[in-house]
Amino acid sequence: MALLRLRAALRGPGGLRGPGIPWSVLRSYSSASAKEVSTNGTCERTELLKVLKARAKQLQGSNIPEVTVNKVEAAPLENDKSQDPLQKALAPHPMEEQPVPRAVGGSPARPSSWARKLQKETYIQQLKLERKLSMAASQLDLGDQAKAEAKPKTKAESKPKAKAEAKPKTKAEAKPKAKAEAKPKAKAEAKPKAKAEAKPKAKAEAKPKAKAEAKPKTQAKATAKPKAKPMKSPKTPKASKAKAATAWSQSCASPHSVYTHSKPTVELGEEGVKLKRPHGRLKDKDSSQHKVLQETIHSSLECFLFLQQPEQAERFLLLCHSDPRKRKLLDVSAYNIVMRSWARKGCLQHIDRLFSMLESAGFRPTLDSYTAALECMGRDQSSPEAIWRYLQRLTSDGFHVDELFQKCLFEEDEKEKVLSAIKTVLPNYLPPPPPKPQTCKSSLLQDFYSKEKVVSYPKLDFTVEELKERFQQQLEMELNNTITIESVEAAKPLTPQAVKARELLTMLRSQWHNNILQALQKSKHSMAVAKARARTLSSYNILYPYLCLLPDEEYVGIMLQVLNTLSPQGESLAVLARELSSRVYTRYITQRKLQSQQLEKVQAVYENYIHLLAKDSQPDQYLPREYWEKLVEEAGFGSSLNLKDCSWPFVILMRLGMHMLELLVKATKLPKNLLNPRLESKHIPVLYHIYSFQHTWQVGLIKPHPIFSQILTDAAETTLTFSSSAMPMLCPPVPWTSPHFGAFIMNDTKLMRFLDGAVQHQQLLEQCPPVNLHPVLDALTLLGNCAWKINQPVLDIIISIFNDKGNEELDIPPPLSEAPRPPTAPGHPSTWSKSLRREVLLCKKKAAEMHSLRMDALYKLSIANYVRDKVFWFPHNMDFRGRTYPCPPYFNHLGNDVTRAILLFAEGRPLGPRGLDWLKIHLINLTGLKKSSSLQERLDYANEIMEEILDSADHPLTGRKWWMNTDEPWQALACCMEIVKASRSPDPAAYISHFPVHQDGSCNGLQHYAALGRDLIGAISVNLVPCSVPQDVYSAVAQQVEEFRKKDAERGVKIAQVLQGFISRKVVKQTVMTVVYGVTRYGGRLQIEKRLKEIDDFPEDYLWEASQYLVKQVFNSIKEMFSATRDIQNWLTESAKLISQSGRTVEWVTPLGLPIVQPYYRSRSTVLNCGMQHLSVRTSDSSQKPDTVKQKNAFPPNFIHSLDSTHMMLTALHCLRQGLTFVSVHDCYWTHALTVDTMNRICRQQFVALHSEKILQDLSEFMLEKYCSSSSPNTVTIATWQKKLMEQLSNVPRTGEFNLNQVMDSTYFFS
Amino acid sequence: MLAKRAPPGAAGCGRLLAEALRPLLRGLWPCWAAGPQRRGLRAAEEAPAERLVQREKRSGVAVRRFIACPRLARTVQQCLQRGAGPGPQPVLLEFSPGPGILTQTLLDAGLRVVALESNLAYLPNLQSLENSLDGQLKVIYGDFFRLDPLVSGTLKPPAVCSDKLFETMGVAAVPWRADVPLRIFGIMPHTLERNRLWRLLFSLYECNSIYKYGRVELNVFISEREYLVLTGKPGRAWAYQALTVLAQIGCEIELLHMEPWSSFATNMKSGGLAIPKSKRLPNDHLCLVRLTPQQNLFTRGLKPTNAATFIFMVKQCLAKPKSRLRDRLNSWSLDNTSKLLKELEIPKNAVVRDLYPEDYRRLFEALQNSSTFAETWFCEDVLESVRTINL
Repeated sequence: MALLRLRAALRGPGGLRGPGIPWSVLRSYSSASAKEVSTNGTCERTELLKVLKARAKQLQGSNIPEVTVNKVEAAPLENDKSQDPLQKALAPHPMEEQPVPRAVGGSPARPSSWARKLQKETYIQQLKLERKLSMAASQLDLGDQAKAEAKPKTKAESKPKAKAEAKPKTKAEAKPKAKAEAKPKAKAEAKPKAKAEAKPKAKAEAKPKAKAEAKPKTQAKATAKPKAKPMKSPKTPKASKAKAATAWSQSCASPHSVYTHSKPTVELGEEGVKLKRPHGRLKDKDSSQHKVLQETIHSSLECFLFLQQPEQAERFLLLCHSDPRKRKLLDVSAYNIVMRSWARKGCLQHIDRLFSMLESAGFRPTLDSYTAALECMGRDQSSPEAIWRYLQRLTSDGFHVDELFQKCLFEEDEKEKVLSAIKTVLPNYLPPPPPKPQTCKSSLLQDFYSKEKVVSYPKLDFTVEELKERFQQQLEMELNNTITIESVEAAKPLTPQAVKARELLTMLRSQWHNNILQALQKSKHSMAVAKARARTLSSYNILYPYLCLLPDEEYVGIMLQVLNTLSPQGESLAVLARELSSRVYTRYITQRKLQSQQLEKVQAVYENYIHLLAKDSQPDQYLPREYWEKLVEEAGFGSSLNLKDCSWPFVILMRLGMHMLELLVKATKLPKNLLNPRLESKHIPVLYHIYSFQHTWQVGLIKPHPIFSQILTDAAETTLTFSSSAMPMLCPPVPWTSPHFGAFIMNDTKLMRFLDGAVQHQQLLEQCPPVNLHPVLDALTLLGNCAWKINQPVLDIIISIFNDKGNEELDIPPPLSEAPRPPTAPGHPSTWSKSLRREVLLCKKKAAEMHSLRMDALYKLSIANYVRDKVFWFPHNMDFRGRTYPCPPYFNHLGNDVTRAILLFAEGRPLGPRGLDWLKIHLINLTGLKKSSSLQERLDYANEIMEEILDSADHPLTGRKWWMNTDEPWQALACCMEIVKASRSPDPAAYISHFPVHQDGSCNGLQHYAALGRDLIGAISVNLVPCSVPQDVYSAVAQQVEEFRKKDAERGVKIAQVLQGFISRKVVKQTVMTVVYGVTRYGGRLQIEKRLKEIDDFPEDYLWEASQYLVKQVFNSIKEMFSATRDIQNWLTESAKLISQSGRTVEWVTPLGLPIVQPYYRSRSTVLNCGMQHLSVRTSDSSQKPDTVKQKNAFPPNFIHSLDSTHMMLTALHCLRQGLTFVSVHDCYWTHALTVDTMNRICRQQFVALHSEKILQDLSEFMLEKYCSSSSPNTVTIATWQKKLMEQLSNVPRTGEFNLNQVMDSTYFFS
Repeated sequence: MLAKRAPPGAAGCGRLLAEALRPLLRGLWPCWAAGPQRRGLRAAEEAPAERLVQREKRSGVAVRRFIACPRLARTVQQCLQRGAGPGPQPVLLEFSPGPGILTQTLLDAGLRVVALESNLAYLPNLQSLENSLDGQLKVIYGDFFRLDPLVSGTLKPPAVCSDKLFETMGVAAVPWRADVPLRIFGIMPHTLERNRLWRLLFSLYECNSIYKYGRVELNVFISEREYLVLTGKPGRAWAYQALTVLAQIGCEIELLHMEPWSSFATNMKSGGLAIPKSKRLPNDHLCLVRLTPQQNLFTRGLKPTNAATFIFMVKQCLAKPKSRLRDRLNSWSLDNTSKLLKELEIPKNAVVRDLYPEDYRRLFEALQNSSTFAETWFCEDVLESVRTINL
């Protein structure tokens, strides 16, 4: 997966340059070519693989794209000319499902009688009922939506039909339906308080039904209410408790999360069992459509709020409110947004009116509503009577004034205004004090957080003033959103041709700029006119506000940027659209942060915060996060540092992007005779919309005209424009203090990487008590606080080769001029022979590959060159399993050999007594030689070849070039230089080294498995047991496979005989390595096939059979050697399968307290009708059923990754306490040469500590409680699946007799 | 096109089966039992019902359909022989015959048959039949849909190479304009049906694979929805597609017979019918369609060498059926599109879906003559497109 996406992203500069969108948008049309990369021997090159691997590692986090735009088709939807964008988002056939709810609505008398019957059942079937509630509710909702879609004619027709259908049905059939229908209603009325959150929704759903019965709504309500009442009474004590939680969740949760996930939050106050329930999964298609529509309304209202156009916001709200079908899309927060925009203007009578609208819609105001009202009154200095009125209402709604300050987020001066309003009537009122900071209680981190042993946080080599200055630089960069830097190619001399082409480009661009601007303004104008005339929501143009957020010039700028970076091969429409709109979005977020005055607050806190890090200030015994929280509290910013959620739904993103793309395609023209004056002068489009065909799919592409690509090539422009979030930070990152605050100053960064629309991670993090996240937040902050600098001599050498002809052996991609020339042939291409065509194609493919590799290297080197004299930081975040990644995508320490070689710690430390030895051992490790030798032997070897090392360092390009023939040549070269410098210094022990020394886990996944299963043989082969020389698991497996092969060969198995002499460590290595991460036989076979292909004299005819045979033997060998590992893997897989089959996603909590959920759901495609073509967008979100195959296959590797990330974080935190510099590339830990020994000790200690926890036992208990705890007392009727699941989950695999403490003495555990 | 609706034929017996006896007998059909004793098929008859149609043990195997009812077999045999002139008949290649009931019927009618079977389990039965005859039947192990696979490397049976196949059959290549050198009959598996049709059309236009040997006549049962697409009329939504244009220009399409899905036996473990769903077009039958390549296909500007460009052009045009032809042409940055359309007497505002297949052919011929066409970037894309489709 990651490979494919990488390939997609590498295809061209267009894909590479965006602020990270390419990863989220998978173009399946590129997958075919990606496959060829891996299968086609002629084009396969090792460096591509290396880049891919490094990338893949980095990207593993973002495994499953949430909005996977993978199929773009021109679905010829007939007569769908309707202009309602909301409607267009719906799937084309909602009508089919109509009869069901219709039939339900048949009898008006039934609901109440069923409600009565329900009372009895409720006590015993609490849980079941609630699930049904959400199902039935969405079913009703579905019916109504379907109705909304149906043409009036069909509506009239279907009604009698459906009724007629309902009647002849047998009673048995009709009953459950009526039941399902009655439940939501009874529920909604029965627990109005406890379910304050769920109520509006349930009510909204129940209402359409009431309408379907053609009875006054109020009447229906009245009948249900008294009957349901008795049920309410036993609930009241809990209800009052739940109230607080409800209100809280409402005020802080994002608009869309309010909808789906209200329940888990509510249940905090209710029985403990329910807390463990999964999120209420609404019924598939319709609920997610409902969600999309709701999100669209919210984000549009937010736009009006941002634009300070309360009139427009209110008008939009009224359009929805007045339409009975659309009204149910509204929820309280939609009204709240409008209230907030009026509050900002201080118009109380509008807010009064909105309050009454809320009431008429059947909603109860929330804390946010009152905040808006009070803010407004604080602004316009209202009379105390009015303020009293609202305060009384607030209390009568069951809120407390203090809650306003505890649970609401504030922007700008909102907080002050609210306070001043309250003080008008309660002069002595003081906002409640902030909650006391809590400390993490995890047993693994007791030492770490205990205040007794605290050492001060390591200081940076900067003064406060210097750090402030750097902060300003960083801020300036982020405020600009993009940064344009000189590429490393700028050093090349300029040709006259380039000068001419550049002039031409400048001229064309200014023309295009004007044309696009005109087109944009024209389209905005026509939208505005249409909007002003709109009487209904359906004729309302939803895009208009999104085109007003930024100055027109900025939209034009964004479009022109995309034009510049479009690859000559073209780019899929969907990708371009996403890119355009997400650029608009990031700018909008920046503007919002400015408008809400968040920046000033962050700046104020940051300037105090750097005292913790600067060398010239008092040592403080705080962690960065603690210190930041303390400062925020002191400044009284409490809840005003976080922005209210304002994400845009994918439908809006796609539509906005498509609209901009259409403008761009239509507005840009160039004269046809630009390069060939013989032709007549005619303006032709620069961009073309064509289709590419993939089997039966067709993918829309935007292709630049070859003339334009030619000019771009000729101009050879040497500036590169990056998003500011693609650059390393110039000041220490803001510490992570919550799931949505940290890292960059302005750029939106999420603690957990996920893709658009995947809300479940964020929700899980938000529900999690903040104190549980502290270890993870601290670890990420710590990793981000490591300062870096550039290894300039190495960078210079690399750039010189890069600007010359590149070097494929050394991983420096050559320029396109070095690409193989396609054979020239006379005549029209259509008359060429097949082989000629094939050759031309291969050349083109090779060139495209070279181009993307070259661009990738160009970006990395250019960024490195840009920061060559600076100290910089890589802010970190993590994927959903807790694996950490640096945020800047191109240049970071996770990169390939080249990028790693040019990075140095900014902080220097003396080598100390063992430092030089470690440098030498590190060098030998980098060469890949002496893998099975002891450390002493490696050191001896290094001393032996000192001559070569000296030569490499002194004459890297002219000498004997020993360094070039190593596994990681560039890092080896850098290391040679460091060793030489150190050994030439008068006292090597005192030599200040900035060089990072790495320690790798040997097959880290298997190490964790072996430790989990206490698997003795496995533990030995992955170095958990002390040995004099390192054990090599790959050789061991190869040996085992060879043994199997011999036996088979003796028995006369043909393929076993063919394979004689071909089984080596290299052949099996990749498969063994990935087996722990869930590689399948299929994937394993491909890996082995690739290795066999590399062996020259292996008979090609047997490739398939041999690889098939070998992968089987490798799996068998692993089974034999790691018996416990296989058991554990099977147990995990089987458990995940059963959980997923029961309709829930697999969740667990790492030993550090990080909650994890696997985000794999079945996907669904929605067809968006955009002007240029229909886009089919695949989405998978939490409202759909889990994807069992993915849930099951991914669980073992994800679980192991969550363990290795825990181990890394534990090591990181404890290293901090010992004053070490520490960074990691997953299972490769870096520190100074001086501190390698200490780091190794901590690493081992933490591994032992981690596995001393009962990890599998805890997992089993957690899951049993989560998935199997039945709240109903009648346990007799436990479903069989539940029994099976329970059995499976309790049956934890047995462990072997390996003594974990042996790890403490194992030298080669990490080496 | 002689798209006549054929009489229901054996549908009656099939339906009967589907409703009542299928679960009991699994292939031992009532009408079969009543039929006259036939030579050669004793083995099949004596075998337990399960052996007649091999039920696949593994799930996930592609669904195969068989003619298991002699009445249907007779109908098919009559259809195949309909319209045959006097004189010697070409050999008939039957692919995936399975239990061989149709094979038997064809042999009885005096045809020379080559059976190409990919499932080893059916081979012994067919081979014993072959041995009992005097060269009237030839049985070959191979899969018609893995004919000339595009992957490199050695061919592993049941993949076959058309050269070998034709050599074994003893069929020699004839010029394009000559008579049909070979007739083929089979049931198209519904998985990847559309891709298989595309593949066939590509080989037809490029004179590859089986079409290297001349205008091979194909008689296949395809699903009704694909039949409707093949024979779609201009302007019809859903049915008029790129495939339609190419099929109608490439060959004569003749509907020989329509038969409900239920008349066919499947290899499903459950004995289910596995009828593919169709959203927009009716799909209640399998249609026996005769596809005879047009004799005059390569007479005017179209040649096997430039056919790929033609195919690509048609696909590009019909990718968005409601767009105007003018816009499509403009997007290939051609000069004077309007003049070209005028010459071809195509209305300026013509929508691509409304053009007749012949119009596309004329358009292509005109473009081949236009000097600017070769200069567009269009041709480069043809290469890529061909690669992706042909794989």
